[in-house]
Amino acid sequence: MNQTPGLEAIIERFGEQGFVADEELATTLFLMLHLGKPLLLEGHPGVGKTEVANVLAAFLGAELIRLQCYEGLDVHSAVYEWNYQKQLLSIKIQEGSARTEAEKEAHIFGPEFLLKRPLLRSITGEQAPVLLIDEVDRADEEFEAFLLELLSAFQISIPELGTIRAIHRPFVILTSNRARELSDALKRRCLYHWVDFPDMDKEMRIVRKHLPDIDEALARELVRLVQRLRTKKLDKTPGIAETLDWARGLVALGCRQLDRESIEKSLGCLLKSANDMEWARAEGVTNLLTEIEDA
Amino acid sequence: MPEQPHASDHQSLTEAIIGFVQYARGEGLKVGVQESQEALRAAALGLAAQKGVFAVALRTIFCTSPDEIELFGQLFDRFWGGKRSSVRSRTAYSNQSNIQKRSPGSLVWMGMGQNGEEGREEGRNVSGANVMERLRKTDFAQVAEMDSALLEELALRLWKQMSMRLKRRLKASPRKGQVSLRKTIRANISRGGDLIELRKQRRRPGKQRLVILLDVSGSMDKYSFFLLRFVWALRAHFEKVEAFIFSTRLIRITGLLGHHKLEQALAQLSAEAHNWSSGTKIGACLKTFNEQYARQALSGRATTIILSDGLDTGEPALLASELAKIKARSRMLAWLNPLKGMRGYEPTARGMQAALPAIGLFKSAHNLDSLLELEKYLWHV
Repeated sequence: MNQTPGLEAIIERFGEQGFVADEELATTLFLMLHLGKPLLLEGHPGVGKTEVANVLAAFLGAELIRLQCYEGLDVHSAVYEWNYQKQLLSIKIQEGSARTEAEKEAHIFGPEFLLKRPLLRSITGEQAPVLLIDEVDRADEEFEAFLLELLSAFQISIPELGTIRAIHRPFVILTSNRARELSDALKRRCLYHWVDFPDMDKEMRIVRKHLPDIDEALARELVRLVQRLRTKKLDKTPGIAETLDWARGLVALGCRQLDRESIEKSLGCLLKSANDMEWARAEGVTNLLTEIEDA
Repeated sequence: MPEQPHASDHQSLTEAIIGFVQYARGEGLKVGVQESQEALRAAALGLAAQKGVFAVALRTIFCTSPDEIELFGQLFDRFWGGKRSSVRSRTAYSNQSNIQKRSPGSLVWMGMGQNGEEGREEGRNVSGANVMERLRKTDFAQVAEMDSALLEELALRLWKQMSMRLKRRLKASPRKGQVSLRKTIRANISRGGDLIELRKQRRRPGKQRLVILLDVSGSMDKYSFFLLRFVWALRAHFEKVEAFIFSTRLIRITGLLGHHKLEQALAQLSAEAHNWSSGTKIGACLKTFNEQYARQALSGRATTIILSDGLDTGEPALLASELAKIKARSRMLAWLNPLKGMRGYEPTARGMQAALPAIGLFKSAHNLDSLLELEKYLWHV
């Protein structure tokens, strides 16, 4: 991509992709594209952090390479691994050949025996991809340290091959749910953006974007209820994904209006913990309905 | 008080941005040369035309956490705001003078530390093996004043040994692992690729995470003095220790454990703690813990230890449900109750009754030996 678009273009084109981007996010993305730095998105689960990367990839017309982090994620599944079976076969085939031991070894550690995992793939592609390192807070601290080399110098060291430098710098997006605090070193290499729950107005726009046919009054009522619900102390606060699920559920159930019965029928879309459900059944739903009527 | 810096002090935008970086650094944001260069580039890209956009751009570059975002907002408004505003200068967080200071509601265990001075002199004379043996078995509440310093010394030494042992065993624990294909092939290349010698790999010993919740209410008086020292001794040898104290409200003291000097940590703690009352609301405190800290503290399945006598003035049902939540997130939930050391003790207190179903390990914590016994449980964590 030669010409990086301006703020308005980002907002508009993201909108075409079904993503409601506000000015703050657009500014952040604009900076990220211009400064060439990784972007760290933090926020509660279900506020659309991962979606940002998806839409950015579509927006740039770039490939999306995703690395899902988990506890115990190691270099072999994140960066590279040797293709052992192929190496073994090759050794067998070469048994009769006149090559020296050193030549054989050099051969089986050649590029064709290298299996590229997401991180390595992201810096060796023909075109700069979008690299999504999802839920980096789940990976171990050691892995985080490993990421530092990639994120600051955009290079990866492989003992048998040497250092591989990025042909094109990938656009890196890291997401975190703050399950643990990330190291300062990692944060310092990134731009930072906190993704909050959307306000009433923005959430309405999101619902309308995803469910263009939904009844306007119903949408307004359900968004208001979700907004109200987020102010309560719940085990798991519903995110945007839950709002959309719930809206779809209500539409599928043929609801025109929110009432106690329809809410209770579709509660599973919204609340994901037994405690919260119990609370909602006991008093929550009735109270919420009166609260949003008063408002 | 130094004058509040303001954008209008500077001639050009560039100077103002650099001035702002310095100001922000002075107020505690971690920004350096790299950040100011990026801020200048952002301005050069035309982001400085609108104040709102510029604020977001700088925030993106400067901040690394939600807390910093909040601070940044204030700093930005002050520096780039319409007119100069008078602001309080930041209060010094801690200084040497704090160490002698004792706040009105100062912590009960501080008292014991002070009296210990006299005991130390006499204590020296009686530090024979028998005394040591006896002290290890003495209930903390019954320790004579003159013995307390001696006991403290002994305790710190033994706990240190214990956590050293824990560490070593974890490293050396031989476990059978899976065959590592990668290592096996490398090891057998010299044999022409025939796999003769198998190489195995075992899982790295998991990280030791420990979360400790210590009751410091009135009824725990005599014990909290030693238990806090116990917590302090543990923190040096575990990968990660999160510690909290509670009575009617919960306070996170993990930061204080970073102090190298125990006395200094305690002094600062007592300066920070206000309104210690004799009541105990365990349930409510655990609720606070679950709401604010549990997600971070208990990630990666930590071992949780609650040190309390279970004399709760709150609602037992609340205690039970909050404990169940902690249990669900922990690898092991242990409750150490000093009263359990008393002969004939039955967990009949309402709080304790409610708590029992969720507890994986229920032990006493009334003397040194009982705390040292913990070793074998922590080992398997």
